[in-house]
Amino acid sequence: MTSSAIDPVELARCRRRVFLALFTALAVALHTLEFLLPAPAPWFRLGFANILTLCALFLFDGRAAWTLSLARVLVGSLILGNLFAPGFFLSLAGAVAATALMTGAREMFGARLGPVGASALGAVGHALGQLLVAWLLLVRHDGLWLLLPFFLLLSLATGLLNGFAAALLIDAVRGHRAFARPAAQDAPP
Amino acid sequence: MIAALWRRMTVLDRFIVALLLLGVLASFAVLGRQPAGARVLVERDGRLLFSAPLGEARRVALPGPLGDTLLEIADGRARILSSPCPHKVCMGMGGVFRRGELIACIPNRLIISIEGGADQGSPAYDLLSH
Repeated sequence: MTSSAIDPVELARCRRRVFLALFTALAVALHTLEFLLPAPAPWFRLGFANILTLCALFLFDGRAAWTLSLARVLVGSLILGNLFAPGFFLSLAGAVAATALMTGAREMFGARLGPVGASALGAVGHALGQLLVAWLLLVRHDGLWLLLPFFLLLSLATGLLNGFAAALLIDAVRGHRAFARPAAQDAPP
Repeated sequence: MIAALWRRMTVLDRFIVALLLLGVLASFAVLGRQPAGARVLVERDGRLLFSAPLGEARRVALPGPLGDTLLEIADGRARILSSPCPHKVCMGMGGVFRRGELIACIPNRLIISIEGGADQGSPAYDLLSH
C-alpha cells in the first residue's frame, strides 16, 4: 500500500484542494467559452459552468460550491475584461442567487435532492437574480419584467440539461480511483 | 434515453422541476398578459394594407386574393365578420384587443394585428447596446 503511510484526513484535504482547483479551472474555461458563443438574446447563457458548481456541491459541500462559483465569476470576468462592468454584476448576481438556492436546498433536503433538481433550482435562481440586478442597475423599466417568463422557461430547460450533464459527471468522478472513499484507505492492511 | 434520464432524478427532483414548471407557466399567465393595444394594423404579403385606431367603431372590407374579408372594429375590439375563405378560422378567433394579438386569415393572405399601448407603447430608451 503506497498510501498507508499518509494520514487519510490529509489525503482527503489534498484531494479536495486538487479537485476544486481543477473544477474551478474548467468552470472558468466554460464561462469564457460561453461568452464567445453567439447568444440568441443578450443575457441568455447556457450556464455550463454551473455543472462544475454542482459537482463541487455534491462531491464536497456547500462551502466548496460557494468557493467555486465566486472564484469562477471573478477569474472569468478578469479574463473577459469586464471586471466591475455591468456584465460582471449580472454574472455575480446570477451566481450568488443560484449558489444560495442550490446550497440551501442541499442543506435542507440532503441526499433526497439530486443534481437535476438542484440544477433546475439554480438555473431559475440565476435568471431571477440576474433580471433583478439588471432592473436595479441597468434598465429601470417595467417592460423588463415582460421578459421574465421567457427567461424562466429557457433557464429551466438549460437547468435540466446541465443537471443531467452534472449527474453523469458526478457519477464518473465518484467512480474514479482518486475518489475512492477515504474509508477504503483508512482500513488497516 | 428518456427513461434513463428520468431514473437519474430523485422524487424530490421531479417535484422541484414540476413546481418550477408550474411557476414558469404562472409567470406567463401573469406577466405575459399585454395591456390593451391602441391600433389595428392589417397586412397583406408583408405590406401594410390598412390601419385604424381601436377606439373608433367601423367596418372595413379588406380585399384579398379570394375576395373581401369584412373586419369590424367595435367596443375596442377587432374581429372578422365574414370571410370568403373555406374554413372560417379567422372568424372563429373572435375579437382581439391586447397588444401583440393577431388574427390571421391565411387563405386570404391577411394578418390583422394590434399594436401600441396606452402609455407603454414606446420604450423609455432610444437604444440599448452591449
